[in-house]
Amino acid sequence: MKKASVLLTMLLVACFAGRTQQAAVVKVVGEVLTPLTLTASDLTSMPRTTASSKDKQGVMHSYSGVAIAEILNKAGVTTGRQLRGENLAKYLLVTCADGYQVVFSLAELDSSFTDRVVILADQEEGKPLAAGIGPFRLIVPGEKKPARNCFQVTTLAIRFAKE
Amino acid sequence: MACILLSAAIREPGRRGPTPPGQGGPTPYALSYPAYFGYRINVPQDNPLTVEGVELGRRLFYDKRLSAGNTISCGSCHQQAHGFADVRTHSLGYDGTPTKRNAMSLTNLLWVRRLFWDGRASSLEEQAVTPMTDPHEMGQPLDSTVKKLRDARLNSASPAYGALFAAAFGSDSITGERIVKAIAQFERILISDRSRFDRYLRGAYRLTAAEQRGLTLFYTNNDPVRGVRGTGCGNCHSGPKVFNETYHNNGLDSVPVDPGRSGVTGLDYDRGRFRVVTLRNIALTAPYMHDGRFRTLSEVLDHYSGHILPSSTLSPSLRDTLNRPVNLRLTTEEKSDLLAFLQLLTDSAFITDPRYADPFVVHTKIKE
Repeated sequence: MKKASVLLTMLLVACFAGRTQQAAVVKVVGEVLTPLTLTASDLTSMPRTTASSKDKQGVMHSYSGVAIAEILNKAGVTTGRQLRGENLAKYLLVTCADGYQVVFSLAELDSSFTDRVVILADQEEGKPLAAGIGPFRLIVPGEKKPARNCFQVTTLAIRFAKE
Repeated sequence: MACILLSAAIREPGRRGPTPPGQGGPTPYALSYPAYFGYRINVPQDNPLTVEGVELGRRLFYDKRLSAGNTISCGSCHQQAHGFADVRTHSLGYDGTPTKRNAMSLTNLLWVRRLFWDGRASSLEEQAVTPMTDPHEMGQPLDSTVKKLRDARLNSASPAYGALFAAAFGSDSITGERIVKAIAQFERILISDRSRFDRYLRGAYRLTAAEQRGLTLFYTNNDPVRGVRGTGCGNCHSGPKVFNETYHNNGLDSVPVDPGRSGVTGLDYDRGRFRVVTLRNIALTAPYMHDGRFRTLSEVLDHYSGHILPSSTLSPSLRDTLNRPVNLRLTTEEKSDLLAFLQLLTDSAFITDPRYADPFVVHTKIKE
C-alpha cells in the first residue's frame, strides 16, 4: 500500500514536472517605447557591470549583471536629458516571482542624478545565483537595509504617479 | 416515517434595504476600515460597491439554488462562525467529491489582488465563478443558475430576485455576470477589524504579558549574533493586516506534490509556493495549510519549530546563509506566547455580524 502511494506521488510529480518547462525571464513594461522580454542570454550580451552589497548578516558580496539604467535605455524609458518635468513623476515598480514588490523613482536610477548604479544581477562572486534567489535579482548598493535587493525579479514596470 | 420539510424565511437585512427601481438607483456602499489597513484596496471600476449590490450578493452567497440539486451554497464551505473558512480538510462538493485544496478564509479580501492558494484569479469576480461552475464543487453552469433564479420569482417563500437585481443593477435582468458581481461585492465588505489586536493598535487594549511576548517574538527577526530572539513570522504575515500578498514554499514537503503557484506560471521555481494567508481569525479557521494537513495552531508552530523540509524552492525567508532550512526550535513558553498572540487576532464581532450572516432562516418541522 505504502509502495503504491509512493509510486502515485512520483507519478503526480512527474506529471506536474512535465508542465513546468518555461525559462524565467524579466519583462520590461509600462511607460516604455519598446517593451522587452529579457532572457538570461540577453543579459549576457548587454554591457555588464558589477555592484556590491551587504547581506542581512552584514557580509559584503560582489555581484555582476546589467545596470537597470541600461535596461531602461534599451526599452526607451525617459532617462538622462529626458528625465525632467512630468517625467520626474515616473517610477519603477519591480515585481518578483513571490509577489514581492519594491519601488524606485526614476531619478534614483539615473546617472544624471546619482552615481549609485543599481543592477539586475545574474551572478554572485562569478557564479549563477542560488536557487530561491536567481536567476535574476536586484542589487541596490549602499542601502542600510537590503530590503530592495529583491530576489527572482520577473517584471520591471515603468508607471506614472497619477495623483 | 419522518419527513423533513424545509422552509426559508428572510431575516431583516443588516443594512438599509434596496432602493426601489426608478428612485435614484443604487446607493453607494460606504466602506469603513482602519487607516492602518491602507488604501491599497481593489474595487473594479465596473463593479462599484452599492448597498443593494452587497445585499443581493449576501443572499446569493447563502442561496443553495446556486448549486446542482440545491445542495450547497458558497456559505456551506465558507462558514461565518469559522472566519468564512471550512472545518473540513477538503470541502465537499454538491456530489460529495472533496475539493482539491482547503477552503480559504474570506477575510479582508478587499486588499487581496490574486485569489486562490495559487493566485490564479485576478479579481473576486473571476474567483467567484470558479467554485460555482466547477463540476465537482457547486456543479452548475451560470445559465442554469440564472434560470433557477428567474423561476424563483414565482415562489412566494423565496426572495424576489428580479426586484433585487433591479435595485442593485438598474434593471431586473438576471445574468451570470451580475450574479458574480453581486457575490464579489458582498465578499469585499467582509472586513475584520474588531479583534483585541485592533483595540491594541488603537491604544484601547493593554496586552497581557504573554500576548506582548508573543507579539514581540512574531514581529522580530532572529539574530543570535546580536542576542535577539525572534521568529520573523511578521516578514510574511506583515503589518496590521497580518499578511503580505506573496507566495512561499514553507517547507511542507521536500518534493511538493501540489504544484502550487507553478501550476499558474509554468515556472519550476514556483513549485510548492502558495499564497500567504492573513492570520486574522486564524484560531477559527482550522485546519491549516493548502491541504489542511495541520489540525491545530500548535501543529503549525511545531512545523515551523522543527519540521521545515529542504527543497530547491523553499522560501529564502526560511533558509539560513548556508541555504539550510531555518527551524525555529521554539521553547514551550515561546509556543504558548505565540499562541496567545494568535488568539489576539480573533474577531468575535466579525463572526457574529448580522451584515455578513445567512439571510435565510431555516425552520425544520418533523412530521410523524
